[in-house]
Amino acid sequence: MLASINRKLGLLIFIVAAVYLYLSFQLPNYEYAPIDADVIPKGLGILLLVLSVFLFFSRVVETDAEKAKRDIPKKELGVIAAVFAMIFVYILLFETIGFIITTTLFIFFCSWFLGYRAWKTNILVSLLFPIVMYAIFVFALGIVLPRGILPF
Amino acid sequence: MDAFQGLLTGFQVALSLEGIMFVLIGVIVGTLIGMMPGLGPISAIAIMIPITYGMDPAPALVMMAGVYYGAVFGGSTSSILLNAPGISGTVATAFDGYPMAQQGKAGKALAIAAISSFVGGTVSVVLLMLLAPALSSVAISFGPPAYFALMFMGLTAISSLSEGSTIKAMIAAVAGFMVVTIGIDPQTGTQRFTFGNVNLFDGFDFLIIALGLFAVAEVCMLILNRKNRSLSDDQKLGSLKLSKADLKEMSGPVSRQSFVGFLLGVLPGAGATIASFISYIFEKRIAKNPGEFGKGAIKGLAAPESSNNAATSGAFVPLLSLGIPGSGTTAVMLGAFLVLGVQPGPLLMTDRPEIFWGIIASMYLGNVFLLILNLPLIPYLAKILSIPRPLLISLVIMFSLIGVYSISFNVFDLYMLLVFGALGFAMRIFSFPAPPFILAFILGGMMEQAFRQSMTISNGSLSIFVDSPLPLSLLLIALISLLVPAFLKWRSNRLAYKQR
Repeated sequence: MLASINRKLGLLIFIVAAVYLYLSFQLPNYEYAPIDADVIPKGLGILLLVLSVFLFFSRVVETDAEKAKRDIPKKELGVIAAVFAMIFVYILLFETIGFIITTTLFIFFCSWFLGYRAWKTNILVSLLFPIVMYAIFVFALGIVLPRGILPF
Repeated sequence: MDAFQGLLTGFQVALSLEGIMFVLIGVIVGTLIGMMPGLGPISAIAIMIPITYGMDPAPALVMMAGVYYGAVFGGSTSSILLNAPGISGTVATAFDGYPMAQQGKAGKALAIAAISSFVGGTVSVVLLMLLAPALSSVAISFGPPAYFALMFMGLTAISSLSEGSTIKAMIAAVAGFMVVTIGIDPQTGTQRFTFGNVNLFDGFDFLIIALGLFAVAEVCMLILNRKNRSLSDDQKLGSLKLSKADLKEMSGPVSRQSFVGFLLGVLPGAGATIASFISYIFEKRIAKNPGEFGKGAIKGLAAPESSNNAATSGAFVPLLSLGIPGSGTTAVMLGAFLVLGVQPGPLLMTDRPEIFWGIIASMYLGNVFLLILNLPLIPYLAKILSIPRPLLISLVIMFSLIGVYSISFNVFDLYMLLVFGALGFAMRIFSFPAPPFILAFILGGMMEQAFRQSMTISNGSLSIFVDSPLPLSLLLIALISLLVPAFLKWRSNRLAYKQR
């Protein structure tokens, strides 16, 4: 029954819509508003529910180009997941260790991981970029980036 | 204030030292980001927004506008040299631009693209200058029902004109609208879908959505394509010179398609990409020898290039005069306006003439700068295409993270950037278009407000949307724009089904 990709996506979106709709019915009432805060969410939930049913039953055959787009080798998905993990670690450490150090490490290792082997240029860029950005944001724009463990 | 006086005010802004500097920064950054295959104008604008914090609105917006049309201008370079369009608006440019480059006439192709873009952009600014004030003075009398209907029409138009399935585009639009309902309802103070999380009370900042759904998702696609070739050092551009015969051949398509492009840019939902394709097909239909198209025809290059740039300025008409963006890119532009505390709309022209006219005047200047940048300097600018992909990927990720952090100084928003990046990547893989999502996200809050104001006026009766002619006709157009393509698809599917 879930043979085509549209059926799987339709089902997934149906579930999302149902959860959203359930939550919109839980919204508290506010007596004095002619149109309360729950009207638009309820409408959107129903609309998405209907659209997901349309998608589920749509007879449109997937084009070859669309099929090719989602045909991604497992290994490549792993690469993307790894980059996301690196970003996650970056965010985790960003405020405690500070912008300059984490950014330097991130740019160097992320570029290296993705296959950039010219390590001299890599070191140069990963050092210069954070320092220049830090200078622009903190001194020119007045936007404070986390200093972390560095004294400046 | 009449248009002439307004334009003088505008040139005072654009031709001040500050104005010139920021136009120049805007178009250079736009050209460079636009050239990078995979990074589009939405990412370009979103990445630049943090730079504008604390700036005066007029120079800041002049710069942001420059980023936008600069990106469309610059996107053609990588289409021609690499056959990898810098942005979706320059896909059609590659059809004839890349074959020309393969024949060793890359320089000539770049020159044709630059001149066509310049003419398209400039013609379109003249039309923008004439049309936007007129539309502003009409729109000043629009009430909430008309505004609601207009925005509704914008969403249906972008859904039905999106590439691929209309249902998927509509799902994307509804999802974008749903995301904007998260947070405290501004009218009643009710918490909606916040689960008591303080970080969600204010809802998501549009920059998180724009950078996640576009910049981070585009980075994922870049990771997949990281082994694609970049520009090699030994690639020769050839002479940039055009002969008189070349110019004569260009003149027809350029003058026609500048108008076509502008018109399509003004209409909601269309924009540079659709304009460039329609112009390409248009010129191919009326050409004496359509067989040359796709093999390096001058006309086939000039048509989409003048059209996509004309559409870019055209898209500023609804943005400046109605305050309603018609495309994903102008939706992010609207976000840039709001960040600076400027509300575009019918009152902008009278309340903030220096911004309204400053942007228009700066476009004349910007197009001249772009012509200079893209003609003599193009061999040097094209060097940016040889940036190694892994380095580019790391830097774009950094720009996105810094951008989001600098709006709220809240690490929670950075995690949300990752979430929306993953969502944007999934949407790309499963062919859900992202522009309807961002447009619905930007319009959603305004639509809900307009809807509730209308219903308050009418005491809760929906008839307010059909009682007066303007909202009624706009809603009818919206309905037709959804039903006609759906019907056509249904019929062609049924025919295909019967034949099987």
